[in-house]
Amino acid sequence: MKILLNLRVGWYLAVRQIRRSSKWSNGLIIFVMLLTFLNLVVVTGFLVGIVDGISNLFRAQETGDVVITAPKDKNYIEHSQQIISFLETLPQIEDMSARYSAGAQLEANYKERANANDKPNQTGTSIVGIDPEDEARFSDLPSFIGEGTYFQPNDYDAILVGAQLIDRYAFGGDIPGLTPLKNVYPGTILRMSVNGIEREVVVRGIITTTANSPLAARVFMPEAELRQLIGRDDYNVNQIALRLKSGVDAEQFRDLLIRSGINQTAVVQTFEQAIPSGVAEIRSTFEQMGNAISSVGLVVAAITIFIVIFINALTRRKYIGILKGIGISGSAIEIAYVFQSIFYAFIGSGIGLAILYGFLVPYVAKHPIVLPISNTIIVAPLSETLIRVALLVTATIIAGYIPARMIVKKNTLDSILGRN
Amino acid sequence: MTTILETKNLIKTFKTGDVETRVLKGISLSVHRGEFLAITGRSGAGKSTLLYQMSLLDEPTSGEIIIEGRNTHEMNEKEKMKFRLFKFGYVFQDYALLPELTAIENVTLPLLMEKYAMPMAHALAERALKDVGLGHRLHSLPSQLSGGEQQRVSIARAIAEKPEILFADEPTANLDRESSQSILQMFVELNKKGQTIIMVTHEEEYQKLAERVIQIDDGKIVATETN
Repeated sequence: MKILLNLRVGWYLAVRQIRRSSKWSNGLIIFVMLLTFLNLVVVTGFLVGIVDGISNLFRAQETGDVVITAPKDKNYIEHSQQIISFLETLPQIEDMSARYSAGAQLEANYKERANANDKPNQTGTSIVGIDPEDEARFSDLPSFIGEGTYFQPNDYDAILVGAQLIDRYAFGGDIPGLTPLKNVYPGTILRMSVNGIEREVVVRGIITTTANSPLAARVFMPEAELRQLIGRDDYNVNQIALRLKSGVDAEQFRDLLIRSGINQTAVVQTFEQAIPSGVAEIRSTFEQMGNAISSVGLVVAAITIFIVIFINALTRRKYIGILKGIGISGSAIEIAYVFQSIFYAFIGSGIGLAILYGFLVPYVAKHPIVLPISNTIIVAPLSETLIRVALLVTATIIAGYIPARMIVKKNTLDSILGRN
Repeated sequence: MTTILETKNLIKTFKTGDVETRVLKGISLSVHRGEFLAITGRSGAGKSTLLYQMSLLDEPTSGEIIIEGRNTHEMNEKEKMKFRLFKFGYVFQDYALLPELTAIENVTLPLLMEKYAMPMAHALAERALKDVGLGHRLHSLPSQLSGGEQQRVSIARAIAEKPEILFADEPTANLDRESSQSILQMFVELNKKGQTIIMVTHEEEYQKLAERVIQIDDGKIVATETN
C-alpha cells in the first residue's frame, strides 16, 4: 500500500513538473532520446539491411521464393520438362524461370594477340541459358542493361555480360585473382569456349548492377543455343526459380512440391535455405557490430539523462528539502523523477517508432540506399525494436533514479537552507 | 493545561572543520496545547535552530525533545517524517512553495501523502485556501501571487489537515507591513480556535500577539514574558 501511495504522489508531482517546466528543455531531452532511439534501432537495422539488400537481390534476380536445383550428384534436374509442366498448373506461382548453366571461358581481343606467348585477355565465368521473355518477367533483367540492348527475338550468337567481368567496371581491374576482360563493349566479338566447343559471340549488352548482384559476374545467352553447346537434348535444366503470388507461404509451397515427389529428382528449397551460408554469417556479424555501436549510444543516453536529472534535482534541492520537510516521502520524490525519465524515454521512443515505421522503413524499402555493396534497406523487426525500447526505458529509469536518490538522501534541513 | 512539546537541556553544535560552534546551550522549555509561543532574539541567537530541533527538521546534538509524551530520540527518520506529515504544519520565511504547482496543488500534495483520495484532498485544500482568503487564486502559480498571498498559501498548506503544532519561522520577514499584519492576525485567529503555534520572530510588534514570549541569546533562554 505504501508503494501505491508513493506512486500516486510521485505521479502527481511528475505530471506537473513536466507540464510546467520549460518546453525547450523538455523538447531538447526528448530530441536526445529520439536520436538515441534511432541510433539504437536504425544503425543495426541499416547494417543488417546491407546484407539483407544482398539477400533481396539474390531472391529477386536468382532464386525467387522457392528454387528447384539439381541434386549434388547430377548436373541437371531429371525430368525437368514434366516438372515444369506440373509447375505451370499451380496457381500459387507468379513467375518462373528455367535456366541452363555451364562453365565457360570468354576471350577478348584474341585477333589482336600477336604473340602466342602473350597472356590472353580471357576470363572464366558461368554462362546461363535463359528464355529471354521468362527471364525478363522474372528478374527484370532488361532493366539492368547499362550498355547495349537486351536480347532481340531470334538472337543468335549473342550474349549479355555481367559488368564484373569487364575491367572498367570490376574494381578497376586490378584485383589479384580476377582477370576481367579489357576493351569489351556492346558489339565486341568474343571467343567463347563451352564444353570444349569454341564459338564467336557478340556482346549484345552489359549488365550493370551492384557488385553483389547474382547477375554481376554472369553471362547470359538464349537457352536454345546453350542447350546446343552443352548437348542437353533432353531439355533438362539446371535450375527452376519460382516467384510466388503475394500471400503464398514459401515453406508451405516447398512442402507441397516435396509431397508431389519433385524432391526425388531435384532439391527443393526456399529462398532462405538456398541463400549462400556466408551471407547469414555476414548478417550475424553486422548485427553484432550494430549492437556494439548501439550499446555505446545507450550508455550516452543514460549519461545524458543522468546529467539532466542530476542538474534538475540539484537546482531543485531546496524544494526537495521542503517536500521532505512537509512530510513527502523520499521514495515519492524519487518516483517523481523516475516518472519524468520514463516520460522522456517513451515520448522519444514513440516519436522514433512513428518516424521509423511511418517513414524510414517504408521509404527506404521503396527507395533503397544504393551502396557499392548492395541496395541497402533498413531491417527493423517490431519485436526486436520493442526490446530496444525496453532497454532504453530501463537505462533511463536507472539514470533518472540514481541522481534523484543522491539528492533526496541529503539532510532535509541542509537542503531547505541551501547548506552544503 | 497539557504539555504538547517539551525540550530538556537541548544542545546543538555545528562543526566546520576543526571548529565547533555551540548554537544551543541547554534549552529546556515546555509548550502547552493551544498556546501561541513566540521565540525572539537577535540575529544568530539560535532561535531558528531551536525551532528546527523542535519541529524535527534537524537532530539535536544532545538533550531530549518530547512530543505528546513520546521521546523523539527514539524515533527513526520514517517515524519523524510521519510526525512532520500528520502532526506538524510549517510556515517558512520564504514561503517554500513548489513553483510548478498551483496554489491548490501545493496544498493538496501533503494531503495526498496523508492517504486522502484526490477529491477529498482537493476539497480540503480548497477550504483551507478559502479560509486564508485565497478562494479566488486557487489555480494561480506561486510566481503569479504576491509575497503575502504566497505566505497565505503556505499557511493554508500548513493548516489544511489541522496539525497539532504549527511552526512558523520568521513568517513575516519578507512581507510588507500590511501583509505582515494580515498574516499575524490569521495566526491569532487560528490560535483562538485552539491551534498550538510556535513562531520565531525578531519583530517586537508581533511578539505582543503571542501569549508567551521567550527570548534567546547566545543559545540560552534569557527571558520569558507572558502577554
